[in-house]
Amino acid sequence: MPHETPSPLDLPEPDLEDGSGLGWTSGVIAVAALLLLLTNAVSLRDWINEQPPGPLQARASALADGWVAFTDGIGWGKPRAMLHEQWKRAEGARFPSNEDQPAADQR
Amino acid sequence: MLFPTLSFGLFFLLVYAVTWSVRGSNEWRKILLLLASWIFYGAWDWRFVALLIGSAFLNWGAARLIVLQPEEAQRRRKAILIAGIAGNLMILGFFKYYDFFLEQLGDVLAMAGLARDLPMMQVVLPVGISFFTFQGMSYLADVHARRLAPAALLDVTLLMSFFPHLVAGPIVRGSDLLPQFRETPRLTREMATMGLILIVWGLFKKAVVASELSTGLVDPVFFDPGAHSRLDLIAAAYGYAVQIYCDFSAYSDMAIGIAALLGYRFPLNFNQPYRALSLQDFWRRWHISLSSWLRDYLYIGALGGNRKGFRRQCVNLMATMLLGGLWHGAKWTFVIWGGLHGLVLAMERIWDRYRPDGWPRLPRILALLLTFHIVVVGWIFFRSDSFTQAAIYLGGIVHGGQASAVMTPLAVALIFLGMAIHFTPPQMGQRLALTLRGLPAPALGMIAGITILIIDAMRFEGVAPFIYYQF
Repeated sequence: MPHETPSPLDLPEPDLEDGSGLGWTSGVIAVAALLLLLTNAVSLRDWINEQPPGPLQARASALADGWVAFTDGIGWGKPRAMLHEQWKRAEGARFPSNEDQPAADQR
Repeated sequence: MLFPTLSFGLFFLLVYAVTWSVRGSNEWRKILLLLASWIFYGAWDWRFVALLIGSAFLNWGAARLIVLQPEEAQRRRKAILIAGIAGNLMILGFFKYYDFFLEQLGDVLAMAGLARDLPMMQVVLPVGISFFTFQGMSYLADVHARRLAPAALLDVTLLMSFFPHLVAGPIVRGSDLLPQFRETPRLTREMATMGLILIVWGLFKKAVVASELSTGLVDPVFFDPGAHSRLDLIAAAYGYAVQIYCDFSAYSDMAIGIAALLGYRFPLNFNQPYRALSLQDFWRRWHISLSSWLRDYLYIGALGGNRKGFRRQCVNLMATMLLGGLWHGAKWTFVIWGGLHGLVLAMERIWDRYRPDGWPRLPRILALLLTFHIVVVGWIFFRSDSFTQAAIYLGGIVHGGQASAVMTPLAVALIFLGMAIHFTPPQMGQRLALTLRGLPAPALGMIAGITILIIDAMRFEGVAPFIYYQF
């Protein structure tokens, strides 16, 4: 289909034309989602805890706490925790001239 | 429902699964996408879903009426077009500018000694109203000019409501999207790979660069510019230039990527804008869907562009940019921002026309630096709450002290990163997509998952709404 305007989706080489786009993409999304479920359980728990309170939310929260404990127990939560710690350290760094200044955003 | 949140991620996974499961019927697919779009919009305020539907009916009905007129009834066709555009402008005017214009009227009456209590309404601004009304108007103008055939009600409603672009663009024109709605979409590895790259890249720019700069540097300085040193003011001005680019281009990237995973192609909206060599060049690279809209429908379509002489061309440029500024919000600082851009654009035209023969052009690096700093000065007005605050800010840059209170190594690194993005090779993302498309799905899934994990570990707690949501 001819297009009036350029798009970042226009690649400089022809498509592979193997017809497997949907299945392949669904596979990519499924693997990424599964990996995040295993390695980023704290984000899921935080999101559930932000939902309006109720019996369902309380049950989901308890399950999420259990899931975080499980993934931490097998060490899958460690890479994210380490990265987060490093990032917080970078956020807290100050130039020598204003090391006594508190963080501007009061994080 | 913000793109970089788990709520949206789960919503999108559901929409992806449901819409691709009805591949046999394009009509059902579009109905499901429409329902999903209304749920997405209703997550902010259900009342405004009716406004969105009403706006789509208005544009569909007006376009139908235009094509029902006989060929020779040009005046009637134009009258319907004007009525349709007036309807769109009334919607936009009421929700966005009613209180602003009434405030100005109150000030004028007070100055004339006729002060009155005017009926202010504290109108709630529907998210994305500037985007979907502009989309509706361009559809009408294109049908009137016979650039576009009138579309079915379902397609027009989906064109205006489609959730990836609904609240902050890009302004996808009917000529780009309606032909795609008529065909059953197909998902290729290329679209999916590039879409995923854009989503992850947008997530990084928004959740890490824009959020960190906003909270750690820009917001505290712009909140009280008088209390900050020259160094802080300069750093925050550069910081805001990077923040607004990373924020807005991130939304566009994610919108293009999300639409791609649903099988639709959106146009480019940003093209390394801070490497522009003139302001004209800048507007070919920044918010391309808005600048091309203003060029085609306002500057050329309504005002006549350069068809009525050079002086009128300069006036048209100024008028277009002033209205473009007002489009961003009902505040004088936006009008000043638009006016500054209009003035410099007109000066560029005048210089091009009257530059003495033999005078050298500015070296590229100087042209780039000059253009960038004009843009940064404009951003100070754009970001400031009032003209007074902007004046204090600019005054502080000239007279302020030296000691910095808020600059951190991380903020400086992110500003450099935000600028470095502009000088990477063109089509770097596309080249990466060509490499990644050949990988097995589990391998690319692992890469995507690990990259999102790293971004999530770096992101600021909580995600602020995109800057352009307010427009």
